[in-house]
Amino acid sequence: MRLPRFEYLRPETLGQALSLLAVHKDDAKILAGGTDLLVRMKKGLLKPKALISLKALNELSYIKKEDACIKIGAGASLADIIASDIIQKEAKALFQACGKVGAITLQHYTGTIGGNILQDNRCHHYNQSGLHRSGRQACHKDGGKICYARDEADRCNSTCQSDGATALMALGAGITLARKGGERTIDLADFYTTDGIMPFAIESHELLKEIIIPVQGAKSAYTRLAYRSAIDYPIVCAGVLLKPSDTQKDKIDEARIVVGAIARSPLFLVRESSSLKGKNLNDTDAFKKAADSSMNSASTFAVHNVGSTLKYRCDMVSEMVFQALKKSARAALPTKE
Amino acid sequence: MEKILITLNINDKPCEVMVYPNDTLLEVLRDELDLTGSKESCGEGVCGSCTVHMDNKPVRSCLTLAMEATGTKIKTVEGLASGDDLSDLQQSFIDHGAVQCGFCTPGMLMSADALLKDNPRPDEKTIRKALAGNICRCTGYAKIIEAVAHTDNPQDQCPDCKTGSKTKE
Amino acid sequence: MSDYTIVGKRMPRVDSRAKVMGKALFTADLKLPGMLVGKIKRSPYAHARILNIDTSKAEALPGVKSVVTGKDTKGVKWGVFAYTRDQQFIQIEKVRYIGDEVAGVAAIDEETALKALDLIDVEYEELPPVFDPMEAMTSQTELIHEDFANNINVHVNIDTGNVDENFEKAQYIREDTFVAPEESYFQAEPYAIVARFDHEDCLEIWCPNGGPHMKSKPLSNAFKIPLHKVKVRKIAIGGAFGGRSEICPVDYICSLLAKKTKKPVKIQFTREENTIATRQGHAMLTTHKTGVDKDGRVLARETTCYMDGGAYSSTGPIATSVPFLSMEQAYRMGSVRYNGYRIYTNKPIRGMIRTHGRGFACGLDTQLDMIADHLGIDPVEIRLRNSRQPGEYTSTKSYVDSCAMDETIHKAVEKSGFKKKWGKLPPFHGIGIGTNSVQTGFPMGIRGGSQSFIKFNEDGEATVMSGVVDNGQGNDNMLVQIAAEELGLLPEDIHLVSADTETTSSDPGSYSQVSTFVGGHAVKIAAQNCRAKLFEVASKILKVSPDKLAAENRLIFVKDDPEKSIPIKKVVRISLLNFNSVNAEGGYWPRVDMKREWVKNPYGQMCEAFSFGTTIVEVKVDPDTGQVEVLEATAAQDVGYAINPLVLEGQFEGALTMGGQGGMLTEYHEWKDGRCLNPTMLDYKLPLACDMPPKINNIIVESVDPKGPYGAKEAGMSIAMSAAQGYSAAVSNAIGVYMDSFPLTPDKILAAIKEKKAQEN
Repeated sequence: MRLPRFEYLRPETLGQALSLLAVHKDDAKILAGGTDLLVRMKKGLLKPKALISLKALNELSYIKKEDACIKIGAGASLADIIASDIIQKEAKALFQACGKVGAITLQHYTGTIGGNILQDNRCHHYNQSGLHRSGRQACHKDGGKICYARDEADRCNSTCQSDGATALMALGAGITLARKGGERTIDLADFYTTDGIMPFAIESHELLKEIIIPVQGAKSAYTRLAYRSAIDYPIVCAGVLLKPSDTQKDKIDEARIVVGAIARSPLFLVRESSSLKGKNLNDTDAFKKAADSSMNSASTFAVHNVGSTLKYRCDMVSEMVFQALKKSARAALPTKE
Repeated sequence: MEKILITLNINDKPCEVMVYPNDTLLEVLRDELDLTGSKESCGEGVCGSCTVHMDNKPVRSCLTLAMEATGTKIKTVEGLASGDDLSDLQQSFIDHGAVQCGFCTPGMLMSADALLKDNPRPDEKTIRKALAGNICRCTGYAKIIEAVAHTDNPQDQCPDCKTGSKTKE
Repeated sequence: MSDYTIVGKRMPRVDSRAKVMGKALFTADLKLPGMLVGKIKRSPYAHARILNIDTSKAEALPGVKSVVTGKDTKGVKWGVFAYTRDQQFIQIEKVRYIGDEVAGVAAIDEETALKALDLIDVEYEELPPVFDPMEAMTSQTELIHEDFANNINVHVNIDTGNVDENFEKAQYIREDTFVAPEESYFQAEPYAIVARFDHEDCLEIWCPNGGPHMKSKPLSNAFKIPLHKVKVRKIAIGGAFGGRSEICPVDYICSLLAKKTKKPVKIQFTREENTIATRQGHAMLTTHKTGVDKDGRVLARETTCYMDGGAYSSTGPIATSVPFLSMEQAYRMGSVRYNGYRIYTNKPIRGMIRTHGRGFACGLDTQLDMIADHLGIDPVEIRLRNSRQPGEYTSTKSYVDSCAMDETIHKAVEKSGFKKKWGKLPPFHGIGIGTNSVQTGFPMGIRGGSQSFIKFNEDGEATVMSGVVDNGQGNDNMLVQIAAEELGLLPEDIHLVSADTETTSSDPGSYSQVSTFVGGHAVKIAAQNCRAKLFEVASKILKVSPDKLAAENRLIFVKDDPEKSIPIKKVVRISLLNFNSVNAEGGYWPRVDMKREWVKNPYGQMCEAFSFGTTIVEVKVDPDTGQVEVLEATAAQDVGYAINPLVLEGQFEGALTMGGQGGMLTEYHEWKDGRCLNPTMLDYKLPLACDMPPKINNIIVESVDPKGPYGAKEAGMSIAMSAAQGYSAAVSNAIGVYMDSFPLTPDKILAAIKEKKAQEN
């Protein structure tokens, strides 16, 4: 399969990259690992005039602990994240999520965390060849006015299947978006629009520079379901964080439940998360209730567009949340001596 | 759009080649350099038939721009043997019947070779994981896994290990 | 068996060295001087009339060398049988599925060819499409093919008589319906073809194929050139699995482009094209009604199967019959009535596939388990009471000579510990058994036989010519082993010239499990004839009669006095000095009933031998997610005789993966308005190394067929099918629900578990 033509730009510093973005804006796309972008280009879903490669940029490939935060350069490879002690110990959900992305030879060495967060939403009516998409009206994401996944839908219902984003949102991560002459940091949870056409609230001259994970003595976990044990996107996934109370070690002070691969963005479920505040870390009934409630909340967003059946994926929201809660609770419980 | 002259280091040899920015490494290897051992099966990074090493790490050449391969060391399946002498891994694939149609074999070898460089005696689970990104439609993987496991660790009870000649240490 | 020195031994394959070095050339690897790139313009509509095709803009594009449309085909239609010729190579009047060929382009490079496709204007008038076979039979909209009423493409009716009477006598009768959607081959190598017309106007082509002679004949008909002018060349092939047996429009289009441009043309399919525009496996809806006596013996069975055939006939009559044949070979039935319908729909074309009839066979075995359950006997016992025995006739009057079906059951049961585990495993942990049978070959008229030539070179090595093709399963090695064994040479002394229609004689192809039985047999006979010539010469030198001689390890020696010997090389040279050639030929034609015909007369000897397989699978099901973990699989097949156990095991393991792990757990196509939603390797879930069961037990059973070469039959096919059955039985056993919709994906499993729970409460 042939890639469409483009101009190849290879800045050597972040500053150069931002200058190029400022000039090219919508006409350019950032090329990091390429495992998502190049596939979409091969299918003709995207025809950027220029690709700005980050290949020569070394300054974005770091993982460090600083000011009670883990800071990850957006260019860090998934392999580096998996190998990082800091991530394994203090951001378990991200470690577990990155381990599930693709396969070793596919994403781990080339794929980056920035690319994983910014992987475009998917839909089995949209992520298809030109032949498949011709002979019918174009869908919202393809520039038209129709949705093949949900009748009468007035906007695109494509699904965000990023493992990394779901885990990071559970971890309460923020992201820094750089542009020529400045940058801004926002919560990852605020990074999403409500339209699958352009799911991210990022300006065309901005570049995802850094991911910041607060370290707060919490335990996290990530679970997902897919057909295969590798080279597969999740059909449903959950990221969970449980922070034990400082005073009562077996009580939950703060919980974050995030459900992914079910809607246009990972869903941070506020009500279900707060339902666990003050609960015991071994209160599986409370977990089950929160999980079932998560299913009900998340299901309203779900459409049948990434394989399996809608019913199954919705049912499994509960199971994935429940499993993730149990996993992180197990890790958070004070060890008996 | 103009072609650009780049230099690639392939199987320890520098090669000058004219490429378009939208040429993938796989296209350049196959079409410009006549290294057709790397195959295109899915074209979208799933099947692993195009796997090559870039600085000793397995990567998908169908999702790697040729331009991005400059300044790195590329190794393809053609670079595994030294002349007519097969690598132990290649020989093990033959001996254990790990090759059927052979279309996935080059990519499978490159993934396995990268694994063995890091971990010469991997256990079965590690091998399965390392090969998870290479789809084989013929073998059911059993003989491939055996071939990788026995490359540097021949087993007396394996009827396909040439234990006499290949035993290490 | 120990009389053999080369066959029967584990031998690494002769083709693997080139493959591990990346030197083996597949079609897409070929580069010929001046070669152009071809691309196909396909229909974006499932059913539409073509009003006009304007190629002028495409032809004007610099770099475009030729554009062909249906006008250039002279309306030639293709079909495997005279009564199924329903497919034009390039559509001219209407298109019948999304992907149907409407034009072909040859250009200097891929980019130009793709641009040219976009510049071809096709004006369509959309027609109402039909995607569901049951709807298609009653649809009042325009027929997909006007000659086929009710969109019924093929109807196979088999009736042994006494069915209704025997149902009357039955103690217990069940009727159940089973469904399975389409599946695909996903050969590692996407389809590709290179074609050129040489200086003598001969058409030369390279492409993956299930039989080169099956490509050359229709191409000679289509181009109206003599058969000898179509030269299908040998090339490494990245898998077939039944899907590359016939010619397809791209073969013709590529050849036509080569003819028009007078240059070689290469067309490489994308993965999507390989899925939607070659062949797929049929979706099936099957109803089995079975009546048994008090012991569970089948007295009567009535089976009705509706197959979604897609837009064209392909191998329709064969496809409509094979699931029934596998059933009647594997199981005895007092009487049986079969009605198989292959129905046209506006979907991609369906053909033969390794796991053809998974819904049919798994349904049959599921029902057998239900009957056993009702009668209080176990699944092994009910199979043994109905299993095929040697020396019997099948329901459609094929004599079954060698048959070790029972031995495959017994050995698999023992190895897997089935008896100890059945009924005693913890909840959501199950074990299941499947049994199946496959035929070695079909009646194919004059193309049913294979012929081989062998010539000795003056250095004492031999060149073997055979039409047998190697799709990746190891046929080349099989031929080399047989020739080396018979000629007394070493495998490295045998040089194979095969799968080339110019230099080899006709051969039926590899897709009907017949390569060893017929093609290997022909090589064996040719080699024996050649050896007889050598013995004639050697007997004069060694001064013993030829029948006292044997050949081994490059020597001819006296059997009773092995010290008395002479190198074969020397015998060859002496023979040549005495003006005698050292060449020979041999052929093998299976004695089948030439009057047997798929639709008109489906009775009589089908082929000479049948293979039988049993697969037992043990699984654990996660009751919370419905996901299946396969703990162990045991595959036992009566292969007749194992020519190369190493290769056989690989066939078993591969068959188990495609038939069971993929075929019963994850593989199926999804559709939206005739569009395939999962045509790629990302979205169609092929099993990976880490998905496979940690343990696969291979059991080779040898019944030594009296007609097969060394007693060999076929390798692996009855594992592919019985694996599907074993997997489905194991899952059903684990969850305590008999499943009727395949494959058994987690959503279906979970739904079944929940429904059962609801009923129990």
